Amino acid sequence: MRRLIGHDEGEIDRILSREDEILPSSGFAVSVMDAVRREAAAPPPIPFPWKRALPGLVVGGFALVLVLVAGVVAIVQLGRASTIPQASLSFPSLLPPMFQRNIESAAIWTALALLVTLVSVKLSMRLASGKA
Amino acid sequence: MSASDDQTDVERTLAGDLSAFEGIVCRWQGPLINLAYRFCHDRGRAEEMAQEAFLRAYRGLGQWRKDAVFSTWLFALATNLYRSELRRIPARTVSIDDIAEPADARASDGGLEDHDRDLAVRRAVGALPAKYREALILFYFHDMDVPTAARSLGLPEGTVKARLFRGREILRSKLPQLLAAPRLKEA
Repeated sequence: MRRLIGHDEGEIDRILSREDEILPSSGFAVSVMDAVRREAAAPPPIPFPWKRALPGLVVGGFALVLVLVAGVVAIVQLGRASTIPQASLSFPSLLPPMFQRNIESAAIWTALALLVTLVSVKLSMRLASGKA
Repeated sequence: MSASDDQTDVERTLAGDLSAFEGIVCRWQGPLINLAYRFCHDRGRAEEMAQEAFLRAYRGLGQWRKDAVFSTWLFALATNLYRSELRRIPARTVSIDDIAEPADARASDGGLEDHDRDLAVRRAVGALPAKYREALILFYFHDMDVPTAARSLGLPEGTVKARLFRGREILRSKLPQLLAAPRLKEA
């Protein structure tokens, strides 16, 4: 078996080693050099406008951090609220102030989100029109 | 083809002398086209892929670290490109199970019909799973030099050896009559 495998390998080697060679077509090198010259003549790729994008990125990052902090605070507050004895929830008189506070907070966040959206839309339109 | 010619031409090209790159193209067009041809077996596509390889080499000349010879870097770049091109648009192949051995592996005089047999083996190589096919193509392209094939594929030598072994095993199992024919002749 070992001899057979060795023989097969020799056979495969022999067949695959003598694969036909092809010659490049006559205009190949010229065509490559034309492509290279076009590449060299092309203007360099436009770098990413970090200077213009930075304010937007900073504002976006800041807003994201704010949202995360607010989320953590809200979770902590909810956790504290849940430690209030269950019976107290059954008193309708306690609920309205809590809801009212939540609605106020939601309204502030909604307004802030709208403001951030507006600023980012304006900024991107201004960047796109090249007026910055 | 001397390594110092390549180095000189690379340095001149990087300094802005485009004509120096023509020297690189003239020296390596044959090998790069033939390597591409072994991957796709289509002359037109082989030239297109080789042209793209030269363009990428031009763009990335500055990334060539001179710790390896230029040709090693160029072949590795071309091999990566050819492999990804063939993953994107595979070459036309048939399933390895559909490759028929010649009806009679021995001609009337007892000798083998070399052409039919060679063709069947090459078609079988083309139908191998990509990782075995690539190892076999590179191994034979680099005159059966495992370290060079491994560098072109960006793989450890041991992995290439294992893939060569497995690739040959598959060929042997799919074309048993064909590859055993010379032994029968001797018997």
